Amino acid sequence: MGMSEPSMVAEPPKLVPPKGFYLLRGHWAGRAWQLLIFKRSLWVNVALTLGLLVLSTLALGAGQVKLTPLEVWQALWGMGTPVQELVVRELRLQRVLAGILTGAAFALSGCLMQTLANNRLATPGIIGIDNAATAFAVASVVGLTTSIAPPGMALVGAALATFLAFLLAGQTGTQGYRFIVAGIGIGAIAGALTQLLLSQVEIDTANAAFPWTVGSLNARSPGAVWGLGLVIVPSLIVALGLVRGLQLLRISTTITVSLGIALKRLRLVTLALSVMLTGFAVAVAGPVGMVALLGPELARLLNRHHGVPLFGAALSGALMMVAADWVGRWMLAPIEVPVGIITAVVGSPYLLWLLLRPATSGP
Amino acid sequence: MNAKSTPIFTDQAVSLAAQALKVTRGHNTVIEALSLPLTPGAVTAIVGPNGCGKSTLLNTLARILAPEQGQVILNGRDIQQLPSRTVAQQLALLPQDTHAPEGMTVEDLVRFGRQPHQGLFQQWSPEDQAAVQAALSAADLLPLRYAPLDQLSGGQRQRAWIAMTIAQSTPLLLLDEPTSALDLGHQIEVFELIRRLASQGRTVAMVVHDLLSACRYADQLVAMVAGEVIAHGPPSEILTPELVFQLYRVHCDIIEDPFSGSPMLANVRRA
Repeated sequence: MGMSEPSMVAEPPKLVPPKGFYLLRGHWAGRAWQLLIFKRSLWVNVALTLGLLVLSTLALGAGQVKLTPLEVWQALWGMGTPVQELVVRELRLQRVLAGILTGAAFALSGCLMQTLANNRLATPGIIGIDNAATAFAVASVVGLTTSIAPPGMALVGAALATFLAFLLAGQTGTQGYRFIVAGIGIGAIAGALTQLLLSQVEIDTANAAFPWTVGSLNARSPGAVWGLGLVIVPSLIVALGLVRGLQLLRISTTITVSLGIALKRLRLVTLALSVMLTGFAVAVAGPVGMVALLGPELARLLNRHHGVPLFGAALSGALMMVAADWVGRWMLAPIEVPVGIITAVVGSPYLLWLLLRPATSGP
Repeated sequence: MNAKSTPIFTDQAVSLAAQALKVTRGHNTVIEALSLPLTPGAVTAIVGPNGCGKSTLLNTLARILAPEQGQVILNGRDIQQLPSRTVAQQLALLPQDTHAPEGMTVEDLVRFGRQPHQGLFQQWSPEDQAAVQAALSAADLLPLRYAPLDQLSGGQRQRAWIAMTIAQSTPLLLLDEPTSALDLGHQIEVFELIRRLASQGRTVAMVVHDLLSACRYADQLVAMVAGEVIAHGPPSEILTPELVFQLYRVHCDIIEDPFSGSPMLANVRRA
């Protein structure tokens, strides 16, 4: 090789994307821009989106009035019979949308929290946020504090649980098992509080609130669905801006700081997003925490553990929620099994495996 | 073979210095009243017994830890007042406990070194590409660039981490025990890489466990005991039997390596 003239300086080589990435580039306002898109993740997300569309169509067609996928689409676009349009647009669409939104919110929230704590066990459901949000929302439903709407109360509960978990975790913060164990305790207390509240009210009120306390898309309020819908899109955008920092967080906090990420801000925004998404999702569907565990896991599996698949997690979560709700409606029809029970049945073995395997590692 | 690679950062003189540092961890004062200017363009090795505060000093210099009193001055400014990103464009750190998440390849890791120069819409500039290529080449990792890190040998993995800090293209490099857990061959490989980096104009400070390697490969030796610098200067000037005794509580004689001329310990015995 010797001391030859450095040829790279004279004529810059062609810009080639790193292996496994697509490169988008251009100029805007006099500045060059480049985006790297991980090929696998792109195609995984496309596949998940298609899967979600198919599943949603099937879910919209299932029920007492059975519709073919074609009829569902015709009804959605206003080209079906009045009965079909009523069934699809007025009766079923909101439920499927609620499933998509809550599934995406739970899974995105879980993926954020897991990455923040660098532990797959650290999902909002496990560290008590779901339960606290539920307890507060139930309090507003059964009328102890009537003035604030359930989503607001759920949010307050979620934030309070996180704050308490932090307080009890002490110096280690979100890193380490203390945070998780403290959260499990808070969750247990909140769960007991919910039961206590329900035991104090009329049997009819308690019966009405019950499916929602185990997680169901049946008891949703339109306001809560709207609230979640308004929150989730900006959350996804903000979360995508956090991806680069979160990827470094998977290595270590020292590396994250030494590579120029403002760690405090990254943690604060990630935690706030996660808590907010959980709060709003619980207000719609109750504590369906298992989706926060399973959604990110599926996305990581599909992405072969490359990076932090926030978008993939949201899509996986949405897919699981719609599927679980559909199965719950159809399994013991006409009795409806709440979606939270389906996800718990599927998710618990996985949780056990996570707890029992010898070496626990980060997400 | 790396003599042709051109430094990317010669545009400014860089300086890093500790001033009257006091650093505590928990309730323990690890470092007290420590001042240390790093010699620009030189390799400085920090040596001392276990628990003397070497790593704490390095992490404080790198802005990972905040001092209780005193300051770390980077280019005339208090490093704690500078944004993370600004610091990361000047100073790269290789921490001691490095482990990569599963599935990460050498190239993935080295690309992360470009983070302080990238933005949300500047994810792969020609400079990034050139710096990653140069770092992989400097660390002799081109043939292994697509290998997952968990399938590499200890020496190869350590070179990958050093390549990440090289890709950061900073004039300052702080390395915390870059050769720990490496066998002799891999140690020399890494030290020679560090010498090459210094010869390109980088300022390097490293915590080194082995006094002999420190003398062989460093221009400046910093000897620490119990959170204080007890000697600082070129190894051949400051290494004496008395200093070795202060550091490690052993007696020895100092002789000169007939090949490299660097000081060596001989006849080491228990006190």
